[in-house]
Amino acid sequence: MKRPPMLMHVKIRGERRGFGLWLPLFLLLPLALAAFIILSPLILIAIPVFWPKGWRKRALHIFGAAFEILCSMRDLKVDVQSDHHCIYISAV
Amino acid sequence: MDENKKRILEMLAQNKISTDEAYRLLSALESEGSAAEGTPKAGTAARMKSKYLRVCVVPGHEREHGGKCERVNIRVPMTLIRAGMKFTSLLPPEARDKVNGALREKGIDFDMRNLKPEAMDQLLEALSDLEVDVASSDGETVKVFVE
Repeated sequence: MKRPPMLMHVKIRGERRGFGLWLPLFLLLPLALAAFIILSPLILIAIPVFWPKGWRKRALHIFGAAFEILCSMRDLKVDVQSDHHCIYISAV
Repeated sequence: MDENKKRILEMLAQNKISTDEAYRLLSALESEGSAAEGTPKAGTAARMKSKYLRVCVVPGHEREHGGKCERVNIRVPMTLIRAGMKFTSLLPPEARDKVNGALREKGIDFDMRNLKPEAMDQLLEALSDLEVDVASSDGETVKVFVE
């Protein structure tokens, strides 16, 4: 089963300063779930509004595709370095 | 036993070829046989194994010591490319027209509506054979490949 990345390492260095972050995505996912539960009444209101417009199918597909993209980000690595700048993004 | 293999072993017994040569010939025969047996399946399996698209830019020694060097190391999972391509099919028609227009402005005559799932699979399969290796005169190398 596909699962989203657990950690994301972001490192950005400029000419003068820089920072590095370890983002614990495994902690963000429960927060996203909590936000989804809180927003669910609004979603329930939105469904009958957008139902006749045919947005329901597209919205469901978009959620699915967005989750697939998130899951596929595991092992992504972007490392670009120049003399004074550095961008490093890694998802594990 | 295969006729060719028998002949190789006979040649070895008669000291016409060395053990090294016999080994090389036998392995060549084996690889030829396996390629002929399962060409489509073996090819697809090999392509399925490719997991990442890599883009590497390594500066040459001159640039590295000259002070201006840029180093790029990008590893994109193939699944991400596949998911991203799937996502394009969910774009609303107006957005697709805008993207098509922007591509046309850049001289790329490509209609995103023609991007069908079967075409995507073919494209990704073909991508598995991609290998770009460019070396400039100052030693900088650009490599794009699938691993």
